[in-house]
Amino acid sequence: MSHPTDDELVDLALGEPVDAERSAHVATCDECSATVEQLRRTVRLASGQVSYAGWQAPDDAVWARVTAEIDADDPPVVEAPEITTASPPGETAYDRRVHRDGARRPSRRRTAAWVGALVAASLVVGLLAGRAIWSPNESGSVSQVALKTLDTRQREGEASVVRAGDGLDLNVVTDRPLDAGDGYLEVWLINADGKRMVSVGVLRPGEADTFPISQALIDQGYVVVDISKEQFDDKPAHSGDSLLRGQLPA
Amino acid sequence: MHVHDDPDVESAELAVRLVGGDREALAEMYRRWSPLVHTIALRALGTREDAEDVVQQVFVAAWRGRATLRPDRGSPAAWLVGITRHRVADVRTQRYRAHRNLQALATEVVTEPTTTHDSDWAERLLLVHELERMGDPRATVLRMAFIEDRTHDDIARTLEMPLGTVKSHVRRGLLELRDRLKEVERVASD
Repeated sequence: MSHPTDDELVDLALGEPVDAERSAHVATCDECSATVEQLRRTVRLASGQVSYAGWQAPDDAVWARVTAEIDADDPPVVEAPEITTASPPGETAYDRRVHRDGARRPSRRRTAAWVGALVAASLVVGLLAGRAIWSPNESGSVSQVALKTLDTRQREGEASVVRAGDGLDLNVVTDRPLDAGDGYLEVWLINADGKRMVSVGVLRPGEADTFPISQALIDQGYVVVDISKEQFDDKPAHSGDSLLRGQLPA
Repeated sequence: MHVHDDPDVESAELAVRLVGGDREALAEMYRRWSPLVHTIALRALGTREDAEDVVQQVFVAAWRGRATLRPDRGSPAAWLVGITRHRVADVRTQRYRAHRNLQALATEVVTEPTTTHDSDWAERLLLVHELERMGDPRATVLRMAFIEDRTHDDIARTLEMPLGTVKSHVRRGLLELRDRLKEVERVASD
């Protein structure tokens, strides 16, 4: 005999009247009795008194830690420029479903081509840069990275580590002055583990600033340069509102 | 053309985008569900520091393991709760080891943190969350049926709704909640 319908199993789980033949089947069918037990457990869990004092959101800084950790193991590839096109005739229903919330995302194929080209280009740049970076140079640039917005990955500045006397300096340059709103801008070095960060100083209004740092910080993995917007709120922790970020090459 | 006010459709879209590697989808998931993940972890572990570490780990794991998300299973919330249960268990294991090491070093009595060891907590809070986001009148019908333990006849009279409609909401709603729990189970047993 065929299995009862889901509706009949629900009725059985809730103790509603069910056709006798149907309930006799459930008693001898492992699959059906497992379903009834799952449904009963669901009712028990839903009906239990939940004494929780509402939802508690984590601190804003946790999101900054998540993105820093992801950036560290998944170096972001420069995004393709936004292309606005109507769906090409060959596009499948699946593509349209993925991009249905607007034409602002380029089609997957096109993105793949762009990403491929950019990966190839950045490999070449990386090789060239690597030679420049690690050439013995007592007072020159040790490493540098583009600073990009977190959402659109737009390049809006650059950070470089340079040797200065017996220590290191972190130079931060933005293409144009960043908007601090009614707060101020702070520069951080976030550890590649995404859990720790240190503030290296306040970025003065303007487009360039220099902060003394140490080789020990870099050696310990504090390699993600981050500029955040902070409020005058007496909270020393990162606000979670990052404007630009970039990870220094190893 | 596309209806966006159905939370299930929106959630499924978010899931498709995450699987496709869209960072903005992860950010949106964080906005929606980090309070759920955090509340479960806080409930299970007792300290904000540990709970926030778990939140960080869950969303990093969600990104790295996005290929294991099944958009056809509906809400990614259940998937995140499944990951949360793993992470909470890891923290507890570490605590247990630290506890043993401390005992080996000194015979001091180490007090257990005051947290619930009820393993159902994650699932209970997920169901609270699902009932909150479920549209009315279904959510109201389910609350009256399961939490207030009222009969279907009583609910039909109170809400001035045909009895058949009440029964249908109870059936569909209960099956939906059961599916969420199955999804938690699937991820937690990986």
